[in-house]
Amino acid sequence: MVADRPLDQLGAATIGRAVREGRLSAVAVIEARLTRIERLNPRLNCFTEIMGDRARAEAQAVDTMVAAGRDPGPLAGVPFGVKDNYDVAGRVTTAGSIINCAHPPATVDAVLLQRLTAAGAVLVGTQNMDEFAYGFTTENAHYGATRNPHDVQRSAGGSSGGSAAAVAAGLCDFALGTDTNGSIRVPSSFCGIFGLKPTFGRLPRTGTFPFVHELDHLGPFARSVADLALIYDLIQGHDPGDAACSDRPADPPVRHRLDELRYGTSVAVLDGWFRDLADPQGLAAIDAAAGILGATDRITLADAGKARAAAFVMTSASGGNLHIESLRSRAGDFDPATRDRLLAGTLLPAHVVLQAQRFRSLFRDQLAEAFRHHDLLIAPATPCPAPFLGQPTIKVESRDLPTRANIGLLTQPLSFVGLPIVAVPVANGALPIGIQIIAPPWREDLALQAAARLERAGLAQSAVVEP
Amino acid sequence: MIDEQDVIWLARMAGLEIDPAFLPGVAGNLGTLLAQAALLMDPPIDPLVEPAPVFQP
Repeated sequence: MVADRPLDQLGAATIGRAVREGRLSAVAVIEARLTRIERLNPRLNCFTEIMGDRARAEAQAVDTMVAAGRDPGPLAGVPFGVKDNYDVAGRVTTAGSIINCAHPPATVDAVLLQRLTAAGAVLVGTQNMDEFAYGFTTENAHYGATRNPHDVQRSAGGSSGGSAAAVAAGLCDFALGTDTNGSIRVPSSFCGIFGLKPTFGRLPRTGTFPFVHELDHLGPFARSVADLALIYDLIQGHDPGDAACSDRPADPPVRHRLDELRYGTSVAVLDGWFRDLADPQGLAAIDAAAGILGATDRITLADAGKARAAAFVMTSASGGNLHIESLRSRAGDFDPATRDRLLAGTLLPAHVVLQAQRFRSLFRDQLAEAFRHHDLLIAPATPCPAPFLGQPTIKVESRDLPTRANIGLLTQPLSFVGLPIVAVPVANGALPIGIQIIAPPWREDLALQAAARLERAGLAQSAVVEP
Repeated sequence: MIDEQDVIWLARMAGLEIDPAFLPGVAGNLGTLLAQAALLMDPPIDPLVEPAPVFQP
């Protein structure tokens, strides 16, 4: 217990502070989490590998530093996991496939993992995902489906579903995922936790397995905005190993500025595509958020549907190209749901792909125009709460659409142009649903501050779920 | 409408040989992709609009 709260309910910042100050043992925290993982992971299937030995050794090292009067960092002893497309030294990065099992083990940790370890955080394992991150449900033919802690018959979302479900169930206190078309925001929505997809190029992807080079983002999941901001502060910064990583300096820490959303910040609700395709629960969540943030304006991005189409095309073409050799030599080893889409992507005419790339420039300009008039935009994160595992269709605008291809309808147009977005959980139904707070490029701070306001107002809430 | 013969022909152009068992799934997905791509063709994009891949020499 710390401050009369059970260990399972503590978040990253609280644990880090208590361990750093010598009030809590890192080893005790890790043992508690490993015990919880042992108890609940068979039910949820969040982890592809549980790294008890590494976690215990790292936790012991943290406690030794504290005992010696040295500072282990603000995440001292905080248990976290990474999606299975992050390199972990000594381990093959499967990216949710069996294709990659032929690769040699990673020799070093991914750069973001290194930064977190340097801040005292303790890796407890790698987490399940859709094969090669190509999906929104984490139903993986090789490693099984991850189950949603709110209802184990339902999807945790994807593709970072193992990471999101683990955070929601308290198997770890934060996690790192990736988001190409919505793979942080969708599982955040379904699992009822916070997620951050930063600006494209903000965080280095060095040491992660790619999906779509021109759309891939990395980012954290957590159960509070304070934790999300703390982690974000600690993982920022250029790395030359990622050609797309910006060399702009890291922003000043945002965790100390979360209550500084200035009076008069102009927030608009995204209308049209983003309201038409949302269900009543998502709309109610947006309307409640709009009330708290004073968002009275509505704006329509006329080409949101085209942006989604362009993201769809680029993803298939780029992913197909990335895997062309394996598609030639061992197509039968892919998850069938991934394989057929990647194969189709290899057959697209070049002019179609280039048209999508050129449209990307146009849509970026449309968003820039929107941000000339407003500081932030808000929209639902998913067209519905978590569907059942294996559910073939979801209802969108009274139509039954294929589940896997359409869960990302509301996320894809926005990651397509690389905007920073915080996914915020709203518990306004039997299952949670997420909303997106969308900021101009490089203004993660604004989106986090708005998320913090929703959290303080009691609309955005995330607590450990007992599945 | 994309049929399996279209897929076989396109795959040959791409240097791929696709298992016949996969053809229906690939044809279905390619049809979906081309339907999405069609949304991007009308109206035409100004020729001066540049693509936006990431490349820094």
